[in-house]
Amino acid sequence: MTLDATMPAINEEALDVWAGRLTMRVKVAGAGAPLLYLHPAAGLVWDPFLSHLAERYTVYAPEFPGTSAGDPYAIHAVDELADVVLVYEEVTRRLGLTRPVVVGQSFGGMLAAELAAHFPALPEKLVLLDPIGLWRDDVPVSNWIATPPEQLPALLFHDPAGEPAQRTLQPPDDPEAARAATAGMVWAFGCTGKFTWPIPDRGLRNRLHRVAASTLIVWGREDRLIPVAYADEFARLIADSKVVIIDDCGHIPQVERLEETSAAVDAFLQPGPPSSRPAVQPSNRRQP
Amino acid sequence: MKITLFEQAPYRYLPPDFDLHYESVCSTPYFPLVTGDGVYSSIRDFMDELALGARAGFDGIAVTEHGQSSYDMMPNPDLVASAPAHLTETEGLEVAIFPMGRSLGKSREPTRVAEEYAMIDVMSGGRLVAGFPVGLSYDANVNAGVPPMQTRPRFDENLELVLRAWSEREPFAWNGKYSQYPQVNIWPRPLQQPAPPVWLTGVGNPRTMQTCLERGFGFNYLSWFGAKLTGKRIFDRFWDIADQVGVERNPHRMGFLQTVAVAETDERAEREYAEHLEYGFRKGLGSIPPEKLGLPGSIDIRGVQALLKDPGDFGLYYQMRTVTFRELVDAGVVVVGSPATVREQLIEFCRDYRIGNLHAMLAFGSLPRDLTMKNIRLFAEEVAPHLRGLWTDSGFQHHWWPERLGGVPRPVQPSQEEATVR
Repeated sequence: MTLDATMPAINEEALDVWAGRLTMRVKVAGAGAPLLYLHPAAGLVWDPFLSHLAERYTVYAPEFPGTSAGDPYAIHAVDELADVVLVYEEVTRRLGLTRPVVVGQSFGGMLAAELAAHFPALPEKLVLLDPIGLWRDDVPVSNWIATPPEQLPALLFHDPAGEPAQRTLQPPDDPEAARAATAGMVWAFGCTGKFTWPIPDRGLRNRLHRVAASTLIVWGREDRLIPVAYADEFARLIADSKVVIIDDCGHIPQVERLEETSAAVDAFLQPGPPSSRPAVQPSNRRQP
Repeated sequence: MKITLFEQAPYRYLPPDFDLHYESVCSTPYFPLVTGDGVYSSIRDFMDELALGARAGFDGIAVTEHGQSSYDMMPNPDLVASAPAHLTETEGLEVAIFPMGRSLGKSREPTRVAEEYAMIDVMSGGRLVAGFPVGLSYDANVNAGVPPMQTRPRFDENLELVLRAWSEREPFAWNGKYSQYPQVNIWPRPLQQPAPPVWLTGVGNPRTMQTCLERGFGFNYLSWFGAKLTGKRIFDRFWDIADQVGVERNPHRMGFLQTVAVAETDERAEREYAEHLEYGFRKGLGSIPPEKLGLPGSIDIRGVQALLKDPGDFGLYYQMRTVTFRELVDAGVVVVGSPATVREQLIEFCRDYRIGNLHAMLAFGSLPRDLTMKNIRLFAEEVAPHLRGLWTDSGFQHHWWPERLGGVPRPVQPSQEEATVR
């Protein structure tokens, strides 16, 4: 396993979709079988996890409408979640992806699950990293959009003072760039919030039985945004699924626990003889 | 110059350390903080004070809408406004009823808003002035559950529906993005046809200003953040846009809200009002967390960038939770003193910025009934008469006031999209 993966060459494709009303921008990197990555509510950040995936796959990472630099009003082209799902299906067709692996994180996890539920034959396999989309009154999902910015680190990370959290939340040094980054994140929350506010439950529970792909559900045990209890909820509703819980980990396992998360994902995507599998700490895994 | 009495309906008996422990909206725990007697007298005194304002000679009575709020217990201003609407009609008082008003970015029942306003206009015999704020984030998005990014387009759509519902001759079907009705045909319609005077509320967004100027709506600037800090920015911006749009600088299209406290002398005004002003701003506006004023998506990305670079439109807001009386005065959040002191400041301000409608907020925070009544009487008798003639000789007519009350209303202009379609 190589987690010191260097940043690959990243290309961008711009696709005019939705009868020309919307331009979807897709970051593309790596080589191999296709993998579609759907980013969380704050927008797409190319991180070491994606670089790692790009070593074995061609990673396609579309930017959610409105979150692409210079095109904020693209969000106004879509009003319903069902339309968003159709847009993403159109993107996979336009990219010519045949049965891609679909990986989604948080908001992107909800979107990945929706895509797999609407189009059961689309994904080869499905990986959900702390996805949103379900709701239980006894363990409510935190309202990340209404959380004051200074409280976001503690909501997102088990160890907000740790290096992964600090690296992720570090604003650019240049004040102008820092303001643009802040405004961009605020706007990204607004764009994705169009489909999650006020309660991030758009009825996914009623559709998850349609997911046919073999599914890996990864959860940070200390996720404070959407508690780990939801892992079993997803597993119960998706027939061919298994759960991996990552210890000492918050809402973003691929950042806070990159090694363990990558190992779990690799083992799921490339099962082989045990000797060729990446090493994984037994305590970090749980087979339901 | 038109002068209204503006009041919010705060809970007047919060504990002294409220602002150290609680937010003033959405999350504020009700039962530990409120008694039945306390809430009854807060609302009873508030209603009586509005009635006094109508009898004391104010040109209008103005209120706003805020749900789930301890500083303004006003889930629907039309419920409150209907009481003075009837009272003034029975007592023969020629006073405008001015809800400033129903938030259309919040409303999921826009025809209900059209109906309520029509009803008030009929009850008052054509004295309604119809205010439409977009709606603060906490109210539209938290209290009403509207996705922040929908607030503005929902406001735009609902406003078109309300205007049409008031005046359309035939029942019509409404196929909106946010509401659909098979048949809209409200009863009653406003006496003022095709529409009562329409005012939008803003805190500085140029787009709201431009809409008002292009379509012929009045513009209300609610100056919570300190008029000495924000006034010049806001008013210069408004009149600059008026020039760009090619609209005359008629002061009557501008409304300005100012908190005022009048006593017999400057010294006595400070002694009587200071603690209640500090209560009002620390425990009210100051205890609204910033993120609840502008949730992600509710402010255009260009607006977010502009605010990050220059938060000047928010004036004293970020210090409001610990603000002192002196800071409130220095920033112009409040105008306090003897009648002479107060009128001098108000006349200068209104003249400099071409303000034709002053909304005097004369109750605040914990101010008890007797002091509020005194403030209202002194303002009506010794301040308002000196302001009323400010624009009399300006040559401008007041097109944003009911005809029955001396206004010369003009029909609003269709929106750009509508004009294109037609």
